Amino acid sequence: MAKTKVIDPAETARKLSVLEPQLKDLERQVDAETDAKKKARLAKKVEKVRDKIRQAKTGERFSRQTKRDLIAYSFIAPNFIGFAVFTLGPVIFAFVLAFLKWDGNNPMQFAALDNFAMMVGNQRFLASLRNTIVYCVATVPFTLVCALGLAVLLNQKIKGRNFFRTVSFFPYVASLVAVAAVWNMLFSPAKNGPMNMILYKVFHIAAKELPKWSADKDWVMFTIVLFSVWKNMGYYMVIYLAGLQGINGELYEAASLDGANTWQKFRYITWPQLQPTTFFVTIILTINCFKVYDIVYMLAGGSAGVLNESAIVLVYHIYEEAFRNWNLGYASACAMVLFLIVLVITLIQFRGEKKYA
Amino acid sequence: MMKKRLVSLALAAAMAGTLAGCGGGSAETTAAPETTKAAEAAETTAAAETKAEETTAAAAGQTTLKWSIWDKDLTTYYKPLVEAYEAKNPDVKIELVDLGSSDYQTVLATQLTGSGSDFDVVTIKDVPGYTTLVNKGVLEPLNDYIAKDSVDLAAYKGLTDQISVEDKLYELPFRSDFWLVYYNKDVFDAAGVAYPTNDMTFAQYDEIARSLTNDEPGAEVYGAHYHTWRSAVQLFGILDGKNTILDGNYDFLKPYYEMVLAEQEDGVCQDYATLKTSNLHYSGAFAQGNVGMMNMGTWFISTMIDKIKAGEYTECTNWGLAKYPHAEGVEPGSTLATITSLAIPTTAPNKELAWDFVKFVCGEEGADILASTGTIPAIMTDDIANMVSGIEGYPADDASKEALQTSNLYLEMPVSTKSSEIETVLNEAHDNIMTGNMTIDDGIADMNEKVSAILGQ
Repeated sequence: MAKTKVIDPAETARKLSVLEPQLKDLERQVDAETDAKKKARLAKKVEKVRDKIRQAKTGERFSRQTKRDLIAYSFIAPNFIGFAVFTLGPVIFAFVLAFLKWDGNNPMQFAALDNFAMMVGNQRFLASLRNTIVYCVATVPFTLVCALGLAVLLNQKIKGRNFFRTVSFFPYVASLVAVAAVWNMLFSPAKNGPMNMILYKVFHIAAKELPKWSADKDWVMFTIVLFSVWKNMGYYMVIYLAGLQGINGELYEAASLDGANTWQKFRYITWPQLQPTTFFVTIILTINCFKVYDIVYMLAGGSAGVLNESAIVLVYHIYEEAFRNWNLGYASACAMVLFLIVLVITLIQFRGEKKYA
Repeated sequence: MMKKRLVSLALAAAMAGTLAGCGGGSAETTAAPETTKAAEAAETTAAAETKAEETTAAAAGQTTLKWSIWDKDLTTYYKPLVEAYEAKNPDVKIELVDLGSSDYQTVLATQLTGSGSDFDVVTIKDVPGYTTLVNKGVLEPLNDYIAKDSVDLAAYKGLTDQISVEDKLYELPFRSDFWLVYYNKDVFDAAGVAYPTNDMTFAQYDEIARSLTNDEPGAEVYGAHYHTWRSAVQLFGILDGKNTILDGNYDFLKPYYEMVLAEQEDGVCQDYATLKTSNLHYSGAFAQGNVGMMNMGTWFISTMIDKIKAGEYTECTNWGLAKYPHAEGVEPGSTLATITSLAIPTTAPNKELAWDFVKFVCGEEGADILASTGTIPAIMTDDIANMVSGIEGYPADDASKEALQTSNLYLEMPVSTKSSEIETVLNEAHDNIMTGNMTIDDGIADMNEKVSAILGQ
């Protein structure tokens, strides 16, 4: 019900005199064009010019297409405004900040690439990068194997299947603070801690040699990896279960008829069929591993919440530099490095998705 | 085409918006240090005064002062302080804002960053937090106020000199805790060992701790207990006054680490790694009744009194206090101090009133109120010491009362622009030495190298 203005006939005639030859010209081109793609593009142009002619004739302010577009944008707007204000803006700001020196209050100073140069000489940064990579390399395959194993096991028709599925999913939903405390109790560095007691009594490891787990610089990453595998495998198991249930049962029937054993069925049916799932899980897991922070902080932080070079990870280093030492520029530069790492992984994911889609 | 153009327009608009927002924020915050500088010119204080008066008048009779604190319900002195001040100044209302205890300084620094907060008075928990805020330029220098009201800083026994930054004082301490040895008389009686005196050397202290120890499984008694904080062990080293913790050379720490690690080895104290991973609180350790001596700050006195009164602590009701052990040839009573202070942010809406409140809390009236709750105020006179030791529940023997007399107070962390970075290095090395991840020599070499690097920057 757009309001129609008083139409000035002269103006309309002038517009039409330009548009109508254009339309004719385009229509001729469409007829002459043989390439389907180009034809479709030209057809769109024709549509547009027709719209303009209609607009000129009726004197409406917006063409129909513009109106449709505006409505669509108005639907996107609430989400996009939130995204722009709370995510996009800060991300861009952090990007700018990476090239500045700023403590949050005093005037910003341009620092060019100083922040990035500082990283190379910063032992805590190098340690955090190394630990993060070690953590990823260890956690990803280990979690993958455990999740797949559990999924295959719990996809069988066994008694109490739902119970076991719940049990394996439980660590994922349990509160991190609570389970981390329990783990530190089980893996207590004392000689009489439950794990060390087993090592001492059953495996006869000398009391001096017993690992101090999360307080031991050689064992802390191991403890963290073990914990995060246990905590997260339930979640990836669920994804694998979905993948397993998507495999056509006829494939297994056919394999049975051909005399394939369990291993062969797994090797030649399950594994290839699960390829897209495995790919998805690997990527998500790797990205999550690079963003690890809470698990390390809870297990190895102690009461002061300070992580040593043996356990520090990238995200913790960013937090420490930004909010303890107030080097916001340097912290943003570190965040940029983390962002680039995750970006590269995501790009690989997009490549892979094309392959498996 | 149209769509693309619109999207890019929207993006550009969003960017411009956020950047403008940031620009605005930084513009305002950069203005803050300028006003500070202007205020330093002394002439403009008059302007600030009139401004404060204006806002006071505008609040129609009653002005509200916003005060940032932590642990509102656990700390006994906020309420009496506020009540006393409000009774004295009926037109002022104090609003307490609890920012939480564990990361108080981080939260406060974040609040004062930018221009959103309107605190009139902020409590400052520790020295690294103080230097961070001073570096950020968000605190008002108090020198002009102090000069105007001729406040006598001598009452703070030199503490205010230790927290001056380039001859400017940005906070005034109201609470000054220092470290003592808490001991459980029952443990001493059971072992037949004489109570620790107010004059004991480290060698004597180590000997007493060892003579109390029983490492029989199930019936362990620990002669000493060291909490996981680095202060509890590392800072034994600075008490002779010859070195500070910012020196950049930490060789002097070696004998103290050797003593504590040997004690740990022999079961005289609990294993650091276990304490760390189990997050055992020092109060819990002492309350179990199998710890002979524990070095801890005076803040633990009021906890002890309250918990014993409430019947929560049943294994350590017979307790005493002794002065910190000292190195050979050093005057007893040298100990570590931690101060809690009040400061006024540059963005405070009512600066004059805020100063009046700071003066009240940090002055003698405030000190009396603090002492009556068992807290050690920054201003320590004989009367106040008697008041603290006279509280019901404080150990009755004379030696415990005398333990409150100190000779030299050393701040746990002196003022330095690098203190928070150095703190990280010291914490890390302490952790590595105590867990056995590094030998003492390696740990000290690590500290020497890294702190020198930080100081050299």
